[in-house]
Amino acid sequence: MVNVTTERIDDILSADVEGRIDGSNVVQFEEAVRTAIEDSDRAVIMNFEKLVYISSAGLRAILLTAKSLQNRDAKLLLCSLSDRIREVFEISGFDKILPIHPSKDEALASLDR
Amino acid sequence: MDDEPDVERLVRQRMRREIRSGQYEFVFAGNGIEALEQLREHQDIDMVLSDINMPEMDGLTLLQQIPSVDPNVRSVVVSAYGDMKNIRTAMNRGAFDFVTKPIDFDDLRITITRTLETIELWRAALESRDKLVVLESELSLANRMQQSILPTTFPETDQYQVFASMEAARDVGGDFYDLLPMEGGRIGLAVADVSGKGIPAAMFMMSSRTLLRGAAIGQSDPSKILREVNQLLCENNDTAMFVTLFLAVYDPATGELVYANGGHNPPVIFRSDGTFSLLPTTDGIALGIFPDISFRENTITLAPGDTAILYSDGVTEAENDAGEQFELDRLYDVFAEAPPGDARTATIDVLKAVTAFADGAPQFDDITCLTLWRGGGRG
Repeated sequence: MVNVTTERIDDILSADVEGRIDGSNVVQFEEAVRTAIEDSDRAVIMNFEKLVYISSAGLRAILLTAKSLQNRDAKLLLCSLSDRIREVFEISGFDKILPIHPSKDEALASLDR
Repeated sequence: MDDEPDVERLVRQRMRREIRSGQYEFVFAGNGIEALEQLREHQDIDMVLSDINMPEMDGLTLLQQIPSVDPNVRSVVVSAYGDMKNIRTAMNRGAFDFVTKPIDFDDLRITITRTLETIELWRAALESRDKLVVLESELSLANRMQQSILPTTFPETDQYQVFASMEAARDVGGDFYDLLPMEGGRIGLAVADVSGKGIPAAMFMMSSRTLLRGAAIGQSDPSKILREVNQLLCENNDTAMFVTLFLAVYDPATGELVYANGGHNPPVIFRSDGTFSLLPTTDGIALGIFPDISFRENTITLAPGDTAILYSDGVTEAENDAGEQFELDRLYDVFAEAPPGDARTATIDVLKAVTAFADGAPQFDDITCLTLWRGGGRG
């Protein structure tokens, strides 16, 4: 089960991700994110505070989102990772690819507005 | 079709346009027995239009017989107006529809069109089902191919032992391990996990493994091998597939283990004195994402009786029904009583512990464990 709740702060999309992202729902997750993102968004912040599990298929979906944003000079930021989720990002090296912030406010602050 | 000969003439006349254009083709039979013969002879018949009252074999009996000749034929019965009893019997015996006498040809046209449309849908569904059956058998073949590329014979000398096992989840794709013989009696040990599942993951896994083997020819620095594999995987990887890969090169003569890590779970070292620790991290990013990156190497030495356990996240993230994960602590617990005494038993003990923990809960990830044990310890 994965739930994505989005809100727009000017041209930044904030997405609260709740539950798990694994092979069984990764398509649903990708779809939810893709439809929420607008071409004019210059950044997407994924809030993982309530994310309890992410599989490699989930990481790939995050990577695909980051790549498609990058292709038009937009950014993907992650924030509020639990210890377990942070560990998954650290082991795979994804923490070196994607900016990770302790909180949504700090993620927002890192984008000069 | 009918007991009255003039019906044939009537149909030929009223449907002449459809017959001439080749839209419909009619075959006529005087009774049920003749109808079955015609069905056998003309296997391209889609629909039977039949009177209920016929000599020799009536329409209701015919309805029962048709499926044994061609189960995909649809039948429409012609009945007297208001003869609900026979109509109900016909429907219960599998008739698709009915029309009433005297035949209203506009209504019959609609009925024929509707019947043929249904047959077409049915055929399409059958075709899809057949394709699915083929796909499923191809998937299971892919599964077997994947399993068959995994080494099943392992070095077992006085100096050292290796043993590995992969329990595949239901879908293809995911983990693999490999043993790479290298010069100077050294051996490369790899455990890897491809993102996602299914055919794309299986194909990515196959190419990862082939590239790994290729890169390891004439090269025994784990960091350089990972760099090359990464480089090749990054080419044309629009799908953002990636593989986490831990690679160590072990020298049985010295116990030296040189390793580099492409974003894979860090192996655990169990020392012969009962202590244990994660291999010091060398950082590193999963392969296939960023070209031109370098990997850091580290070296440790296994003393006699020491063990290195390589695994995939299918071990640490195995779940039980309560949604708890196996995690590293339970892996450490496997050898809480005594450090591993040989590679095979250690591997099997880890997998058994995971199975016992999961207690029948379905696992969605491949479970891989590879054990390297240095012999000669503890007297």
